[in-house]
Amino acid sequence: MKKLDAAVLAGLILVGSALSLAAGAARQIKLAIAPGGSVNVVNNCGSVTLHPGNQRQVVVNAATHSDKVEVDANSTPDGKRVDVRTHALPQQKPSSSESSVDYDIAIPSGVSVTITTATAPITIESVGGDFSLSSGTGPVTVKNAANARVEVRGVAAPVVLSNVTGQVEVTSSNGSVQLTNVSGSRVRVAATSGNITYHGDFSGGGSYVLSTHTGAIEVTLPPSASVDLTARSLKGSVENDFPLQAKSHMTFDPAAGRSFAGTSNSGSSSVELESFSGRIRVKKQ
Amino acid sequence: MTLAKKTIASGLSEAEAIDLAKAGDAPAFEGLYGLHKRRVYSLCLRMTGNTAEAEDLTQEAFLQLYRKISTFRGESAFSTWLHRLAVNVVLMHLRKKGLPEVSLDEALEPQHEDGPKKDIGARDNVLAGSIDRVNLERAIESLPPGYRIIFVLHDIEGYEHNEIAEMMGCSIGNSKSQLHKARMKLRDLLKLSRAEKASRR
Amino acid sequence: MNCKQFQEVLPHIIESGGNPDQEAHLQSCRECGELVRDLRYIADQARLLLPMHDPNPRVWNNIQKSLAREGLVPEDRMSRQGHTMTNSPAQKKSWTPLGLILAATAVLALSLLLVNYRSTNPANQENLAPPVPDNSPATAANADDHVLVSQLAQQDADVAGAYQASLEEVSSYISDAQKAVNDDPDDSAAQEHLRDAYQQKAVLYQMATALLLE
Repeated sequence: MKKLDAAVLAGLILVGSALSLAAGAARQIKLAIAPGGSVNVVNNCGSVTLHPGNQRQVVVNAATHSDKVEVDANSTPDGKRVDVRTHALPQQKPSSSESSVDYDIAIPSGVSVTITTATAPITIESVGGDFSLSSGTGPVTVKNAANARVEVRGVAAPVVLSNVTGQVEVTSSNGSVQLTNVSGSRVRVAATSGNITYHGDFSGGGSYVLSTHTGAIEVTLPPSASVDLTARSLKGSVENDFPLQAKSHMTFDPAAGRSFAGTSNSGSSSVELESFSGRIRVKKQ
Repeated sequence: MTLAKKTIASGLSEAEAIDLAKAGDAPAFEGLYGLHKRRVYSLCLRMTGNTAEAEDLTQEAFLQLYRKISTFRGESAFSTWLHRLAVNVVLMHLRKKGLPEVSLDEALEPQHEDGPKKDIGARDNVLAGSIDRVNLERAIESLPPGYRIIFVLHDIEGYEHNEIAEMMGCSIGNSKSQLHKARMKLRDLLKLSRAEKASRR
Repeated sequence: MNCKQFQEVLPHIIESGGNPDQEAHLQSCRECGELVRDLRYIADQARLLLPMHDPNPRVWNNIQKSLAREGLVPEDRMSRQGHTMTNSPAQKKSWTPLGLILAATAVLALSLLLVNYRSTNPANQENLAPPVPDNSPATAANADDHVLVSQLAQQDADVAGAYQASLEEVSSYISDAQKAVNDDPDDSAAQEHLRDAYQQKAVLYQMATALLLE
């Protein structure tokens, strides 16, 4: 293991320079990355897609759509950090469509990735790792990510997570959040007016908190789900169609139509559904 | 806070309050609640990582205290006795949930981390001096339940491995192994958190 | 002894120390030395963590009810709203969520950053009130929100519109939650909503500021 690391690091010394893409073109850039390294992508318009790569390197395929922007892609000499960034050329003021760049990036497992966009959709599929994703309005999709840590921040960006295990934290203002088979030790979703839907069994004995201001929360779970579930809405309504056993100790007085709580099976996972005035519905699959 | 300084507003010492509570004196029991609620609740919260559960368990711990206070003989400090009672309440709750707190006598196994695997030797700069309470609390909250329990009991609450082994029904070696894994996991979480902040600058 | 062998025994020697071979490896190996230093540092910091959280007053209320239900204590023998006999100052409506302070501070800091950005960016000085998208509501919730949206509009009108809508939503959330807290200061759910609302506003400001500063 140590010899391999040394060989990789030696190769990195040769690869540490900035590379620019000619605008209006498609190019491929390969950058070595050290184990546990981080990748930072900034691209406001266009798209960003991540998928697994085979080697200890980041392979960036970038397609620009005008000559008013360029792509900077570089890595630090020790390979611990790779930076990929779209920026306007000096004195150019590209429109949204002119500044659009489509990225298709292959990354090895075990790296942490930060992606910042304004309108560009972000798609991550079949990659495990640590992801910190920030989008204004571009949809965010993460699928088939095992043992992942996923943090998403969106303004009006629809967020879709499916088949994700690990730790998840989503903060969405107006965008809807849809979770399907998302489980782990800690799952937090906070939305203002965006609706939150969850399909799955809340497995793993973790802590799940879904909360909104006016957005609706809809949860569908199978009879096999083992949950200790609490649903509360300050001003909105709550509906339950899932069999729950009453808890022996309640930390609040359940108010009909505004809150309920109970356990299913052994109550392994803690699930808290909270809304200020949004409707909360719990349904049986 | 020493015992001598622990007084309840009415002028009772803790020892006097305990005697009165044993006799069923409600205000004295209330005073004991006031003195110890923070430590018990913080323990429950750190072990479960969940506010609602922690409140439930704090409530249960003090109810058990009321029922069992007559058995307190003073062989240990009252706070130690109450603390141990609270730990047992939490552990019993977790056992009922069927959480894998600690596998009985599991053999030392290669690290199975929940996050990305890191190669031995590929490390950033040391952590010393770079973590604050908020980040550490947050990282502890993120630990898998089994790791979190051991870490809280040993490193925060100060229990020794032989005490933890007795409470958890596992071996001392297993307690040490789980603690080590918890600290390794925290190290990764804290370094990741620091790297993320750096990459956002 | 190599690193793998050392790290296998580390759980058992980190507190008590190892044999001469193990100690020699620790002294000579940079990675293992750093690892042990980090792990001990984490343990030391954990020891300094104090009990920080008080339970919600309803915990005491529930204890009273349970004891009364079991017939152990008549309900009127205990105080109605939590204990009065403590050696700490009365906590009457004085608790302020730490998260609320942190989130509100983050919003304030980002607002100041935004003001600084405005004053140091001469290109923007002449256009302090750029056009707001036609389909947006008339005014932002407060002056800082308006400044933020105005700056964003110079980059992308659609994105500015999205931020404006979200800022209005979150301001409404803050207002609703604040009212709920004012109506019942002991309502922890309302307090959590207020904290969440401020945190969401802080996230919006962080994202917008990052966009402007690129």
